[in-house]
Amino acid sequence: MVRVTTAVLEAHVLSEGDWIAAAQVCQLCRIDPEAVREFAELGLVTSRQTQGEWQLPATALPRLRIVSRLMRDLGVNASGAVLALELLERIRQLERLAGDY
Amino acid sequence: MEFRDYYKVLGVERSATADQVKTAYRRLARRYHPDVSKEKDAEARFKETQEAYEVLKDPQKRAAYDELGSDWKSGQQFRPPPGWDGAAAGHARRARSRGPDGDAQFTDEQFSDFFSSLFGAEARHAAGARRARAGRDHHARVELDLEEAFRGTTRTLELRHPELKPDGSVELRSRTVRVNIPAGVTEGQLVRLAGQGEPAAGAGAAGDLYLEVHIQPHAQYQLDGRDVTVSFAIAPWEAALGAAVTVPTLGGAVAMQIPAGAQSGQKLRLRGRGLPGQPAGDQYVQLKVVLPPADTPQAQALYEEMRAKLNFNPRAT
Repeated sequence: MVRVTTAVLEAHVLSEGDWIAAAQVCQLCRIDPEAVREFAELGLVTSRQTQGEWQLPATALPRLRIVSRLMRDLGVNASGAVLALELLERIRQLERLAGDY
Repeated sequence: MEFRDYYKVLGVERSATADQVKTAYRRLARRYHPDVSKEKDAEARFKETQEAYEVLKDPQKRAAYDELGSDWKSGQQFRPPPGWDGAAAGHARRARSRGPDGDAQFTDEQFSDFFSSLFGAEARHAAGARRARAGRDHHARVELDLEEAFRGTTRTLELRHPELKPDGSVELRSRTVRVNIPAGVTEGQLVRLAGQGEPAAGAGAAGDLYLEVHIQPHAQYQLDGRDVTVSFAIAPWEAALGAAVTVPTLGGAVAMQIPAGAQSGQKLRLRGRGLPGQPAGDQYVQLKVVLPPADTPQAQALYEEMRAKLNFNPRAT
């Protein structure tokens, strides 16, 4: 294996208000655009058209990755994956409340 | 390397039908899926399950695996037999077979050496590498603790890319990069490193690398977005009469006034003391009144006196 070391890199943090191209999102989540469209229809993510480019908020990526993994690994469909994610998020929220006190 | 009994991993007989294999995989995948499971070694079990399914769902790979015979036991030292051609089975399917999450190049989440020796490891990366095109974007996770998220930190990452050599073979290239992660990243947030994804094949632009930030649970602080909550024990008289106290925050201890008449469970806000950002998060101090034990005659007398003199019914509405 060839090893190369480069200098220190500055990271750019993507937060609320940053959008990335849907094509990139598809590649990063390994899902096809049709699935992203379905997730948008199911209300999991918002999307917008800017200068002919279809974009998604950067903050949506972690949730999209989870639902795409659930679909791929467990054989559930898009609605099932979104339902599972929403329930998982609710459980986490309740656990947080329960852990508070 | 150690032999892996894929039938045992999935809990099926060697004679199991394709449907039985699929059902067994689905059941285990649901149980151990890292996004869902609370089992202790869920991730390792899930990977093992996926690897077993990868082989047993594919008639060619399964036939090749079965050729090894049924005498092998899990964990036994294993070397592929001379003239082994199982790699051909892997090769034939390589365009479709991928690691668990496509992140294999970064996170070492590859299948076991045992799998690689039978079906070839590099084969998985080779597909699609032949055309000149822009490098793909890549994605990896970074785990930070809460203090690192608060202060910012530097992480050293090892990135791996398959690279096509002129003779057509594929070589795994490894680069080490140091990344400055700024203060105030939160759970699930993305960080972009331009041009650090897959290098272009031919004349395209290199892809970007996206890091997904995960913050490990903290013993003392609960994180919610940029806000943190800390549980804070106080004595009944501090709650009743008010008190000046020092509370821990991520940036160091600060003085805080507990108002008179505070109740257990009440939250006090320290504005801007959460994770930094625009705007910075707040810290919530959740009060928890701890009663002194009535384990001495003196303490009992004090409680008795309160009972006699306070005329207090906590259940009165």
